[in-house]
Amino acid sequence: MFRSLRLVALLGGLLMAAAASARDIDAASYGYPLTNPFEATIATTPPEQRPTLPEDDEIDQSDYSLTLRPEREFTLPDNFWAVKKLRYRLAKQDHEAPLIFLIAGTGAPYSSSINEYLKKLFYQAGYHVVQLSSPTSYDFMSAASRFATPGVSREDAEDLYRVMQAVRAQHPRLPVSEYYLSGYSLGALDAAFVSHLDETRRSFNFKRVLLLNPPVNLYTSISNLDKLVQTRVKGIDRGTTFYELMLEKLTRYFQDKGYIDLNEALLYDFQKSRQHLSNEQMAMLIGTSFRFSAADIAFTSDLINRRGLIIPPKYPITEGSSLTPFFKRALQCDFDCYLTEQVIPMWRARTDGNSLLQLIDQVSLYGLEDYLHNSPKIAVMHNADDLILGPGDIGFLRRVFGDRLTLYPHGGHCGNLNYRVNSDAMLEFFRG
Amino acid sequence: MVNRLLLVTALLASGHALAEEVAPRTSVVEADNTASLTAESDGFLDPLRELKFNPGLDQREFERSTLAALNIYDPLESMNRRIYHFNYRFDQWVFLPVVDGYRYVTPGFVRTGVSNFFNNLGDVPNLFNSVLQLKGERSAQITARLMFNTIIGVGGLWDPATKMGLARQSEDFGQTLGYYGVHEGPYLVLPIFGPSNLRDTTGLVVDYAGEQAVNYLDVPDTASDHPEITLLRAVDKRYTTNFRYGQTNSPFEYEKVRYVYTQARKLQISE
Repeated sequence: MFRSLRLVALLGGLLMAAAASARDIDAASYGYPLTNPFEATIATTPPEQRPTLPEDDEIDQSDYSLTLRPEREFTLPDNFWAVKKLRYRLAKQDHEAPLIFLIAGTGAPYSSSINEYLKKLFYQAGYHVVQLSSPTSYDFMSAASRFATPGVSREDAEDLYRVMQAVRAQHPRLPVSEYYLSGYSLGALDAAFVSHLDETRRSFNFKRVLLLNPPVNLYTSISNLDKLVQTRVKGIDRGTTFYELMLEKLTRYFQDKGYIDLNEALLYDFQKSRQHLSNEQMAMLIGTSFRFSAADIAFTSDLINRRGLIIPPKYPITEGSSLTPFFKRALQCDFDCYLTEQVIPMWRARTDGNSLLQLIDQVSLYGLEDYLHNSPKIAVMHNADDLILGPGDIGFLRRVFGDRLTLYPHGGHCGNLNYRVNSDAMLEFFRG
Repeated sequence: MVNRLLLVTALLASGHALAEEVAPRTSVVEADNTASLTAESDGFLDPLRELKFNPGLDQREFERSTLAALNIYDPLESMNRRIYHFNYRFDQWVFLPVVDGYRYVTPGFVRTGVSNFFNNLGDVPNLFNSVLQLKGERSAQITARLMFNTIIGVGGLWDPATKMGLARQSEDFGQTLGYYGVHEGPYLVLPIFGPSNLRDTTGLVVDYAGEQAVNYLDVPDTASDHPEITLLRAVDKRYTTNFRYGQTNSPFEYEKVRYVYTQARKLQISE
């Protein structure tokens, strides 16, 4: 009987060890000032609570370009001349150092503000840093993507992997000790798939991979974002559109203030003024920003693949042609529309794909569940109030990542990445 | 990405609709009702739960606002777009490399000095236009800036006025015309200078002529013999302008710049 008790104890201990619990940061000791997830998403951390970072002048960095899809030189219209080559940014240390790749979020270019921030953070800590555009961004789709229909995470990871290899080939003399990988938002989901691909390709053997605020279920995330423009906003009526309302508030804010002063404290000051935005208005603003990304993606994908949904396949475009009519059409297409009209048909045709559920399973973190569960080198940092998550998503992260999940109580979507506590935790993770 | 949008929005302005006035709050932290969010069993605080949604989820406000915003008078669009592409190339192949070289060969304090110097010259048209708009307080502030910066700041190389709390406030003749109700006219993209419209282009010419006539610190006269001064001014202007072609990373950058420029000018005129 004692023996069986001991066995139970042993089994229990093993189970406990296997289900190591996530690192939950409690709100009191965390001290993040913005408890409203929408404010955090829009304004991010107040300047005085950000880490001290080097100026651009102190960083040895340049932009480079890669020709990855030479045929696009001829197939893309003239006014795409600027995105026929893929640009990226490299910040170099003057000695041997580890190199970290950073992947931008939805629709964002390599030079997005969060990428710039992360670059400064890691450069200061002694890394070479390569900033890459998101596979959903206009430049990446035009210059680097094989199918130019981003959303199928495995294919996006393949494209990214080629880009990373080409980046390395372009700098053969750069002394790199080892490779690291990180990304935020959709870039974090991409990073997980790139890391998985690297397990078989073995080009980089990433030593550590950090996912910052990834979507868990990609469909939940895009549905949430699409829904944000459906909030009921006070002050909109037949004569006043949402933008006019926003501009009206800004005008009155500046008139109260007496002069226009654009600085980092503006957003906090604005939210403290009588013109401050309600949750619904902030949600609408965030939703609007994502709808513009959706329009860019839908238009670019349609144009490159000549699908004829937004722009007629043979429509002649020169540098002088107006794109406004097509912009108007693309604006009607949200993420869900892009998924249904462009991603799913292509995915079905290429891979014998079947239902939407099957696609969601493949392109979300679910598709990598076992891999993520068994890879101690991958960690995730997320926020309990992130607006791209849905019910059950955090439970999934807890189950899969165990103590490799750090869950912050506040921060909205990526709003706390530049909070000092978070930046310390990121550096700590890569230090090992 | 989102905060960039708000900053962009921060550049904009608008018409005259009435919105509800809300009492000022003491702190950002006690914002609205999110403190009442209760955690689900796995710790998730669903931020969308508390939002008021349009019940049918079929509101077309985003589409309506955006389509209305695209409505800007631009009869010369085809030519404007070609010039926009010319400027984009010129920026990438000439302007930015020159600015990078400038950044490389000069130490930071020299560049700040150069910017201060040209800003001080620019305060002359700022003052004129401020007076023309009968803005008494602002005119007094700009006069004080000119005196402090020219005398204490050694011809404008330093900017002690800003440190004393007299921030730089820009007024140009385009704004003056707008202040008196002159319509903006068709949207124009000027070679090298970038986005403008008929009213602001007129303003640009008038301000230039004014600077030549006043000949403050003898710089305009000297510059006519030494084109390198004008060149340095152009490089400094590009160095202090944060905009980069391609930064919106969108096939519709032309439309976005056009909207932001138009609204930013309205905002500058109204304050």
